[in-house]
Amino acid sequence: MKKILFLLFTAACVLAFTSTTGVAGDLDAFKGEKGVLKISGGTAHIPVMKEAAQRIMSAYPAIQISIAAGGSGVGIKQVGEGLVQIGNSGRAPTEDEIARYGLKPHMWALDGVAVVVHPRNPVKALSQAQVAGIYAGAIGNWKALGGEDRPINLYTRDEASGTREVFWEKALKKGPIAAKANVVVSNGAMKSAVSQDPYGIGYVSVGHIDASVAPVAFDGVVPTVQTVRNGQFKIARGLYSNTKGAPTGLTRKFIDYLFSPEGRAIVQEKGFIPHP
Amino acid sequence: MNRFRENALIGVSWACGLILSGIFFLLVAYLAHQGAGVIDVKLLFGETPPLQALLLQQRVFDGLFPAMVGTFLLVCLSIVLAVPLGVATGIYMAEYAGARVKNLFNLVFDVLAGIPSILVGLFGFALAIFLHKHFSNRIQPCLLISALALAFLVLPYIIRTTQAALEGIPGETRLTALALGATKPQNLFHVLIPQSLSGMLSGLILAIGRCAEDTAVIMLTGVVVTAGVPTSLLGPYEALPFYIYYISSQYAGPEELLRGYGASLILLLLCTMLFFAAFLIKKRLTYLALYRP
Amino acid sequence: MIGPSERATERILLVSAAVSASVTVLILGFMLVMALPLLRGGGLFSLLTQHWEPGKGLYGIYPLLVTTAGISSLSLLLAFPLSLGCACLIGLYGQRPPGTLLRRIVQLMTGVPTVVYGFVGIFVLVPLIREFFQTGSGMCLLTGALMLSVLIAPTMILFFQDSFERVPRSHLAAADALGADRAQKLLYVVLPAARRGILVGVILAFGRAAGDTLIALMLAGNAVQVPGSVLDSVRTLTAHIALVIAADYESPEFRSIFACGLILYLFITVITVLVRRLAMPESGERP
Repeated sequence: MKKILFLLFTAACVLAFTSTTGVAGDLDAFKGEKGVLKISGGTAHIPVMKEAAQRIMSAYPAIQISIAAGGSGVGIKQVGEGLVQIGNSGRAPTEDEIARYGLKPHMWALDGVAVVVHPRNPVKALSQAQVAGIYAGAIGNWKALGGEDRPINLYTRDEASGTREVFWEKALKKGPIAAKANVVVSNGAMKSAVSQDPYGIGYVSVGHIDASVAPVAFDGVVPTVQTVRNGQFKIARGLYSNTKGAPTGLTRKFIDYLFSPEGRAIVQEKGFIPHP
Repeated sequence: MNRFRENALIGVSWACGLILSGIFFLLVAYLAHQGAGVIDVKLLFGETPPLQALLLQQRVFDGLFPAMVGTFLLVCLSIVLAVPLGVATGIYMAEYAGARVKNLFNLVFDVLAGIPSILVGLFGFALAIFLHKHFSNRIQPCLLISALALAFLVLPYIIRTTQAALEGIPGETRLTALALGATKPQNLFHVLIPQSLSGMLSGLILAIGRCAEDTAVIMLTGVVVTAGVPTSLLGPYEALPFYIYYISSQYAGPEELLRGYGASLILLLLCTMLFFAAFLIKKRLTYLALYRP
Repeated sequence: MIGPSERATERILLVSAAVSASVTVLILGFMLVMALPLLRGGGLFSLLTQHWEPGKGLYGIYPLLVTTAGISSLSLLLAFPLSLGCACLIGLYGQRPPGTLLRRIVQLMTGVPTVVYGFVGIFVLVPLIREFFQTGSGMCLLTGALMLSVLIAPTMILFFQDSFERVPRSHLAAADALGADRAQKLLYVVLPAARRGILVGVILAFGRAAGDTLIALMLAGNAVQVPGSVLDSVRTLTAHIALVIAADYESPEFRSIFACGLILYLFITVITVLVRRLAMPESGERP
């Protein structure tokens, strides 16, 4: 019994020690903060949000940060209606949305939207016309593109998605998306759907691309962090965290953290380009 | 010729029985094969020391602990909300309601029992938005709203099992205490309710099982991907079934997927055992248990 | 003789019952109020017949209706023979091992969470369907219907079996007297007598298939289109509610969700009334 008590005591001491001195500089801003911060919306943002939240909550357990998905449209609505403190979007909020809700957008990263296929798919490059043709349903078989003789399985996102909007505008030039396309609800879901379907094609945030899916060169440009940064890859967009009016308190500290050196390091580590 | 039909019946029945049991065993075996290896302390608590996680001193990331606590709280809260109302309604239906009221209310509760859970979730969501706009900014989809919606979902189970248990009590038992001068409430609380406890218990277990497994209601009323252990009734929370749904389509890597298998196996064992227990306690449960989608 | 506490008890119980009943009405009320702006002025007709293309201002739910009807019917078609067979096996062997064992398995199956069916479906059934048919992504109407049939089979089996057991002893005794064996009794006495109970089980299972969300959401692909084949990606009414919930609170998209809800609500009410009509005269009580 004594031994257990001693162990507990040691553990408590270690805990107390780490929480007062062991924390790196940029997290110090959260000292003494407590309460709940709700974040929802854009799904491209989730890896960065999770990592930031995890670091903040480990250092200061009195802070609770919740992260919900839903898509950019949802993030903007929910922050506008006051249901969450931060609504993320993978596109700039429209002037109408800014005016209606008094939104203040904070763009903290640059990202691209890339066409992806299964890693075993031999098709590695597509032109804009081909991508538009595939999504319109005019090109229906991989054989026409130099692949296997199998129908192309289309994957697209739901209407609330900012990624879908950017892709539709910049890659499809506002062309149609066939009704037969499977609908998935997030960037993460898009990645896992395409990684499981050898004959699938989808589009996903460049930051989310890993070995499980293969990026397709678009008009000759391979989507990577470099080509997005130097402007060669055209389907680029900002990642925004929107607040209703100027952020205050915990919300403000969270946004500031995203722009701090440590926050920028997280953004970079997760495959995005810190901004500004 | 008729012999042929009878033999065919036996053959086909066996085939059907084997197919169905085969499907079930495949399902369980697949999950057990994929998930049994990952069920350990790390699955629940990630890298956090279990003791500190249980004492809520340190948050758990990469573990099922917050989701399990969320589901546990959700079940407790829904049951606390649903049981008093459901039992009281059941008693009224069995002991007080006149024939016409009873008939009407029976229909109403049958409809309630049949409403798909996604509609109950939609109702909970709309209710939260309504309250948010007209009453208080602090109300929004949250643990409490989810629990309330789930309480509505399982209310018919509790009403029906209570009602059926009371109605099943034989006349002599019913009249003895009254004949000795007991009032109706005395008879109710000292004779009838103690007599029907096992029936009520089966309803309670079913309700717990339903609350623990339902995904459609909570996905519209406040469950989120990451929240940690909930700190307030008006706050967001995580839950086991939603975690499984989320992981199934958006796992970030093989490790997360394995946690999904672990979570599925845990939820499967929990819910099948609960339903099975309810069936063991009460024989004629079919109508009560299976009505709702 | 009636004391104040007695009256108070009765009043509390009455209020509880009224509150419980009002929940049912309240849900209907919310659906109606939210969907009403969309239903006014012939809106109902265009809602039921149009396609879903929010980009073009079309918020019709016709494809969803067709899909929900199609996927539930197909799952019923697959599950009905299977369930009847299983119920017969339980009926044939009654209290002996094959019968009791199968009944225990079926009871266990009623407890399997739908999300677990969906989870296993994604990793086992979807690739299987994709490779078997060599076309499509594997997320399609057929995949959803197959998994749904596993979901609704236990419901039907237990209902069928219950109605078998309610066949009057005297009928069976008469058959015994004529020297009928188990299979003959089941085939010529029990099955015809349990027709109504079988119908009730089928209707309830249909309602259950149409009302389930997770399986269709996870396995059917969610494309809004009228299915041309069972291998097409489709979206049900319930999955639609789960997917679009997120959108604007005032927008027609969001209101159309409540129209979907209203349709499902009315559908369930019809089913309930139908089941009560069918079940009541047989036993004088609920099934």
